[in-house]
Formats: sequence, C-alpha cells, structure tokens
Amino acid sequence: MKYRNLSIWKNVDKPLFLFYFILSIIGYLVMYSSNYNGFEIQDFLWNTNYGKQLIWLILTFFFGVFILLIDGNFIKNSSYFIYGIVILLLVIVLFMPPIKGATSWFYFSSFSIQPSEFIKLGLSLALAKLLSDVGSKFQDFRTKLKAFLLIVTPAILIAIQPDPGTMLVFSCFVFVLYREGLSGNFLLIGLFTILIAIVGIFLKASNSVFFIGSNAVSGNLFFGFILCIGFLFSFLIIRYFVLPRFRKQKIRSLIFISVLGLSISGGINIVYDTIFKERHRTRFQIMFGVKEDRKGAGYNIYQSLSAVGSGKIFGKGFLKGTLSNDKFKHVPEQNTDFIFCVLAEEWGFSGCMVFIILYISLLVRMIMVAERQRSKFTRIYGYCVSGILFFHFMINIAMVIGLAPVIGIPLPFFSKGGSAILTFGLMIFILLRLDAERKVVLR
Amino acid sequence: MDPYKNRRWVIILIIISIGLIFSFRLFYVQVINHEWSHRAAKISLKTENLQPPRGFIYDRNNKLLVGAETVYDIFILPIAIKEKDTSLICNLFDMSKLDFKKVLENASTGYNVPYKPSVFIKSMTQLEHAKISPFIGKISGVFAEAKIDRGYPLSIASHLLGYIRRIDENQFQNTRANGDFFYTKNDFIGITGLEKQYELLLRGQRGNINYLKDYAGNKIKTVNKIPAQPGKSLQITLDANLQKLGEKLMAHKIGSIVAIEPSSGEILAMVSAPSYNPSLLTGKNFSKEFERLKQNDSLKPLINRPVYNDKYRPGSIFKLVQALIALEDGVITSNTGFSCNKNIIGCHNHERPNNLLKAIKHSCNPYFFQVYKRLIMKGKGKNIFEISREGLGNWEKKIKTFGFGSTLGIDLPDEKSGFVPNVSFYDQWYGKKRWAFSTIYSNSIGEGEIGVSPIQMANLAAIIANKGYYFTPHIIKEIEEENIKEKFKTKHYSCVDAKHFDVIIDAMNEVVNNGTGRNARIDSIEVCGKTGTVENKNFNDHSVFISFAPMNQPKIAIAVYVEFGTWGSKWAAPVASLMMENYLNGFLSNKSKIKAAKIQSEVILNKNTKF
Ligand SMILES: [Zn+2]
Repeated sequence: MKYRNLSIWKNVDKPLFLFYFILSIIGYLVMYSSNYNGFEIQDFLWNTNYGKQLIWLILTFFFGVFILLIDGNFIKNSSYFIYGIVILLLVIVLFMPPIKGATSWFYFSSFSIQPSEFIKLGLSLALAKLLSDVGSKFQDFRTKLKAFLLIVTPAILIAIQPDPGTMLVFSCFVFVLYREGLSGNFLLIGLFTILIAIVGIFLKASNSVFFIGSNAVSGNLFFGFILCIGFLFSFLIIRYFVLPRFRKQKIRSLIFISVLGLSISGGINIVYDTIFKERHRTRFQIMFGVKEDRKGAGYNIYQSLSAVGSGKIFGKGFLKGTLSNDKFKHVPEQNTDFIFCVLAEEWGFSGCMVFIILYISLLVRMIMVAERQRSKFTRIYGYCVSGILFFHFMINIAMVIGLAPVIGIPLPFFSKGGSAILTFGLMIFILLRLDAERKVVLR
Repeated sequence: MDPYKNRRWVIILIIISIGLIFSFRLFYVQVINHEWSHRAAKISLKTENLQPPRGFIYDRNNKLLVGAETVYDIFILPIAIKEKDTSLICNLFDMSKLDFKKVLENASTGYNVPYKPSVFIKSMTQLEHAKISPFIGKISGVFAEAKIDRGYPLSIASHLLGYIRRIDENQFQNTRANGDFFYTKNDFIGITGLEKQYELLLRGQRGNINYLKDYAGNKIKTVNKIPAQPGKSLQITLDANLQKLGEKLMAHKIGSIVAIEPSSGEILAMVSAPSYNPSLLTGKNFSKEFERLKQNDSLKPLINRPVYNDKYRPGSIFKLVQALIALEDGVITSNTGFSCNKNIIGCHNHERPNNLLKAIKHSCNPYFFQVYKRLIMKGKGKNIFEISREGLGNWEKKIKTFGFGSTLGIDLPDEKSGFVPNVSFYDQWYGKKRWAFSTIYSNSIGEGEIGVSPIQMANLAAIIANKGYYFTPHIIKEIEEENIKEKFKTKHYSCVDAKHFDVIIDAMNEVVNNGTGRNARIDSIEVCGKTGTVENKNFNDHSVFISFAPMNQPKIAIAVYVEFGTWGSKWAAPVASLMMENYLNGFLSNKSKIKAAKIQSEVILNKNTKF
C-alpha cells in the first residue's frame, strides 16, 4: 500500500497539478480580496465567504488525495452511478425553495450545494464511459442518440431551474464529440450560425439602414439580399468550376447552408421583434456599443469594465481595489460571476496576462495529457474536463470585459461557491488519477 | 490508429485564439484606452465641499451684531418616497396631496433627477424642525440637513449690515464667469450692506474632502481632505447702543441719522428710517418678506438712505460752508455785516446781523445771499455772465473739497455722489450766457440744485469739528489678520485754513445756546450745531440738523435729517442732542428719557403731518 502511494505521486502529471494548484491559490487570494472588509479572526471560518471558501478548498484537496488513492477502474465503473445520482439530485432540487428566482440550491445552515455543478463531472464521466465502451462506435446512430440523451437530460433539468449559463456550458461537448469523430461541419455550421446571428442581431440592434439607389432598405433585408447574391455566386462557381461528379454533393450542401443562413437571419428578425423583451434588446445594443446605458441593463458591464480599466498595467495591489471590493460593491456579483474584475483591478494587465497564460497552459496541458492516453475513457474524460473549463473561461471573461452579453456563469477556481470549487477540483484530481495509471493498465 | 488525432490542433488553436482575443481586449481596456479608468474614478470617488462658517460681525464694543443660526433644509429623494407615506408627509408639511405630487414631479425633472435628493423646504427654524424631526426619521426619502444662516441677536442696523440670500442663477453664472468657483447652488451670498462689501472675507475659504464611496454613495474612506477656513469676523465702528437709540428715535419717521467720530472717520451710528427687522430677511420667509418690503411699501424700507439718498437739499447747514469759503477767499471777515433785507430773500425777525456769528446764529438768509454774491461775482470787468461763470467754477472746486459732489469712499455698497451744480450744468440747463448770479442764488442757502447725502452732511460736521479736515467715513474697525484700515487713515483737507473755523464753531455754539438750535442743548456739554429747514413747496419742510460735541474736543459729529419734519429745531435738533448725550455720557438723563419717549412715539410718515 505504501509503495503504491508513492508510485501514484511519482506518476501524477506535475505540470498539470502545478497549474491547477497555482490557479487555485491565486483564485483563493482574489476571492479573499474581493470579500475582504477588515479581517476578524472570530468570524473568519464560519461567517465570511473567504472562510467558507477555504473550508471547501481544504475539503477539495482532501477528496483529491482520496481520489488519488482509489483505483481508477472503480471510478470508471461508477460513472453511470454518479451520473444517475446527480440527475436525481437535479430533479429533487427543482422542489427546493427558489433563491433569486432559481431552484438551484440545497441549503444546509450556512452552506449550500448546487447539483448543477456536480453534473459537469457526472456527465463527463458518463459520456467518457459511453463512448469508450467496447462495441459502441461513435459512428453508430444508437451511440449518437445515447450521447445526445446523456447531454440533453441534465440540460433540460437545468433549463427548468432556470440557469442558462450552466446550460450554455453543455455546448462544450461539441468539442469532445468533434475530437471523437463528429463531422467538422458541425463546428463550421456552428461558427456560421454564430456569425450570421451576430451580424443579424447587430444590424437589428443598431437599426441600420442601407440605400439602394435612393430607396432606404432595412439593414436585415439588405443583409438577406447580400446572402442571396453570395449563394447565387457560389452556385455559379460550383456549376462551372467543380467536376461534375462532385457537383451534386456540393450543390446539396450549398442549398443546406443557404436555407440555414437565410432562415437564421430571417428568424433573428422575428425573434428580435417578437420574442425578445426590451431588456434583451438593450443588452445586445449595449454589447454592440450602440447604446450606453449606465443605470439599466448596461450597469453591470459598465461597472465591471470600469473596474477592469482602472487596473491599468500593474493594478492597485492586493486588497486595494476600490470598485470591485466588497466594501464598495460598485461591481455587482463581484465575488461570483464578475470576480475577474477583482483580479484585473488589483493586479492590472500584467496580472491578467499571468492568469490567461496559466489558464491556457492548464487547458492545453489537459489536452496533451488526454492525447497521450491509451485508454479511450481517460482521453474522452480529459477532453470533457478541458472543454468545460474552457467554456467557463471563455463565456465568463468575455462577459466581464464586455465582449458578450451578461450570462451568469462562474470562473473556475475563482468564483465564490463551494460546489464549483469542489467539482472543478475533483474533475482535475480524477484526471490526474486516471493519467497516473496510464502505464499500468490499458482501458 | 486514431484518424482524428490531428483534430486536437484545431481545438488547441481555438483555445489559444480566445486567449489572444482576451489579451488584446484587456490591453486595450487597461493600457491603451484611459477612458475606463476615468470612469472608474467617477464611480468610486466623490468630492464633497466643506462649507466654511461665515464670519460674525461685532460692534465697536464687541457686542455681537450678526451671528449664526442653524436652520434646516428638508430634502426629498423621489425614488425613495413610498406611496403609503404621502399622507403623513402632507400632514407634516401642511400641504395637499396634489401639491406634493407637483413637488415630486419638480424634483424629478430637469436638473433634478429622481435618484438625487433635492431641496423640498428651505430653512426651517430649529423650533419647526424639532416638531417634525421625530416623524421624518421614519419616512424614507425625506431627510433634513442643517445649514448655517444668519442670526441677529440685537435686530439693529439692518441696512448697514445688509443681508445674504441664496445665490440665484445669474449671480451664480457671473461669479463663475469671473473665475470665482466658490459658490455651489443653494449657497448664501451677501447681497447688500457689509455682507456684500466684505463678502470675500466673510465667506471664508471652502475646503473639500475626497472620499471613496460605495455603490450607494456612502462614505467608506477619506482619501484627501482640505479643511474649510472659516470666514473672518469683522469688528465694525458702530456703537450698538447709540444705533439702537437712533433707530428708536427715528421710529415711524422717514430720514437718516449719521454719527461720526471726527478724529477717525469711524461711523458710530447710521440709521435709515423706516427700517425693518433684519431677521425678516433670513430663513424660509425670505422671498415673501423681501417682496413685501420691496414692492408693497411706498416708504422703501430697504433703501439705505444715509448713503443712497443723495437728492437731499442741505438747506441752511450749507451756510456754514459758504461762510468758510468766503472767509478763505477773503471776500468777508468775521466782522462783515449785511442787513437782513427780506426783499431779496425771505427771513424771519431777528437782531441785525452785523457780523458773521450773528448771521449764523440766526441763519439769516439775506446775509448769505450777499456772501454768495461776493463769492460768485468776485471777478472784475467783462459782463455778469462771464463773471458768474468764473465765480461758480472757483466755488465748485472749493465746495468739492468738503466732500460734496462725489462719493466719499465709505465701505458700503451703492454710495451715491450727490450733486454740486457747475458751469456746464447751468449751461445745459439755461444755455450759455443765459445765466448769472441772479439765476443761481438759491445755492447760497442750500436750496436750488444741490444734492447731498446724509453721510456727506455728517462729514461736514466732522470737518468743522476737526477745523478743516476729515477722514473718509467708514464702518470697518478691524478684521482678523487683515490690514484693511490703511486707506481710512489719510487726512483729507478742505480748502479752508484752520484759523477760519473758530468763528464758525463759536457761531454754532451760539446757535445751540441762544439761536435756532436751542432744542439741541445738553446740560453740562457744550454743543455746536446748525439747523436747516429745507423748503418743500406744498408739504411740510424737511427738518435738518448737523452738530458736534463737545465743543473743545469733539468726540461725535452728527447729521440728522427728518423728512417732512417742518423745521430744523423741531425734530432733527433734539434727536441729535439725545444721540450725543447718550454717546458722550453713556446714558440719558431722566429729562432726556422723557423727551426721547415723546419723540419715539411721534409719527411723521405723512407729508402734511399736523403738529
Ligand atoms: Zn435775516
């Protein structure tokens, strides 16, 4: 047993562990600073956010050590069980009293638990298990359907809470599936959809008008017109420059893309005018800089960008933030969704760069670790973890620095919230554990 | 072999590009563009003005004339007002719901925004505030803020002290245009009197405090503080007791009293009647009272007559100046006699004016007609027009050395110059060579076109008391740490040599002892004075008296002007004597007290008061 322990630690991927460890420490310090309001030892552990967070962090490392000690096979075999338990919790939590309009939490005196965090781990394990099982090929329709159901079930449960941020994270599994053989067209179509949607919403939000001759034409109509011309042009190119035997297939995909593009741009028109409420429209208008709204919907972004900008190159220093600190509360949700402000304000651009480099290194290291596995399970699981952390990073930072509308989603290792800290920690420890075994067994 | 192994590079590429996009964006927001950090300063820093307390004003004996009184402004914050509280608010401030709705609307539009508090009721007194304060604590969106207004413990000298009021839009813009950024809206500024004259000293220096605030605007941490410097306190030359007596004596009358210490030019009392209680022009009633005093009162109680009304004809007191100039010019001596020829100009019956003393003692009009004639017609040859022109020119120059025809430079706003008719005036009035002595002779007895302000009359008394010079009359005695008196320490000499004053002073003493001013006698004090009765065609004449005492070492020079007071000795002389007695003895004798009470109760507001 003793020998085995040592061998485990020897096999643990040091860079990955180090990136995670450093990010956790930085994250904790930033979180401490964001809640700092004069230090009082008697309140520390139980009555302050940073006290509770420390307990969760210690708990995470405790569980982490425990995970490193158990057999990786056991984890793999428990995958569906863990998934099932968390799905059950997600169902039960819907009957809990709502907090801020969402039924996302179980409360135990001063601590709370958020099962939608744990599902990220459960789903990663279950998806890895499903796709790595001998006999299941991703190309099979049955496997695709199962994978789809695995992902969509918790997504729906979370949508009921509602928690759109967490739901959005689930789209990260597209990367995992892509790596496992999902057609690259899905990524491209996704990208194409996002692009058309952004242009469409921008044209709507800014009320753009174009002129054809002396006739004013609404921006979206004009955009649709341009799309049609583009498609027609592509058609002509295919018609005359593509070899006849490929022509039919190409024209089929062109038609598909044309219909998709036009229906998206047309759909946006309808959605924007009818389904969107005024506050949604304002959010987009603010995001595109068409409108500056300091008191209404734009408040969060305005405040957070001010905090970020005031950090300048080297920041104001630890505990010295004057906007994002809990004492001032100029930035709403400064210890959860907007915690990046604290880092940006107190450590400046240089601190942000260190953070981004560390975080990207962690993500890339995970992919490298995943890729070196002989075990398909571990590889898929590694991609899942990397994808989840990447999406959190992408959506959260984009929101804080004003590149995306406000979507509530925590920043891993930084945001206040025990369930998140624990989940992200366990996800990484499990990956470390599985990776440490890569030479021992083949799975 | 895994056919999709290379797809990892696509994914890594995407991850790194997102990292790069974020880095560029952060570089722009944090390093290149300073806009956001400016916005951050706006969000987190708040600068608050620290208002300095306004300087106090004390009299020459350190009695407090103007102090401070705490008043309360009631503010409302429209977004915090709850519907359920409105009836309580309406009851508390005694207004209808409709009115309150209007107030709320006003507080939410234009310059006012609903999430900024704006003034709802200005300047509640401490008593009023005490009544409502237990209630407003419970109403959200309504709160009181203490402000320091002026307080007047003695309620005297309102004209002289002046008043302050909240700065209006025009003044606010003007001060800013002149580079003075002291004031903020709702601040007080001196409008008249000393409050205006010494505004810059009285107001002090504003400080400010920069602090970090939280999202709700609460102070969290002071970053930098410059304390306010309190306004400087003034000590003025006024004697509060004397001023109080003067105001009593002039109650229910129109006119002025000015008393000066001849040896320094310090103003001991300056009464403008009718007066008003200075406390009326403080607090929330300001607008109402101001309108009442300004618009609806034909007696114009807001005007400071001693300096502002320069249209008074001096009457017979002017004979003193004529005599002095004539002596200096050598056109008469103290022994020159003329007959009292009532055919030339009216007079009353008196002993023959066979010298200057007797002429002054009896205020003989024909005598001074002759004196003035000699002054104006001094020249030889040519024709009477040319001679008159030359004579008037010389006379004007000399008369002006007595402080007439131009402002004296008193430290009060709005001093008027008065008027001494001159060659160009008569040329314009009658045409060149269309006037001569015979046209302008009424100047000889202080009638005609001459205009003099009461302060100039008192100054004349001071010149005679000083035998030939005066100090610019002034109010300021001392200002903390300021050396402001220098300009009031210069002797201004009249054109008349000191030796010519003795006979005038003797004559003025005779006026009081045996002449027209017997009403001004004070037991045990030698008083010098001269009556004046300014003609008023269809109404009662104005009553004028200038005087100084004691005769040998004058401590007080005084001018009293009672409009429509019939003749000089009737009202003006006793008022002057009571003032002097009170000042010189420190109290009034019992006999004088009775006299004072009688005068105080007399009402002379009518042009035709019957006596
Ligand atoms: Zn006579």
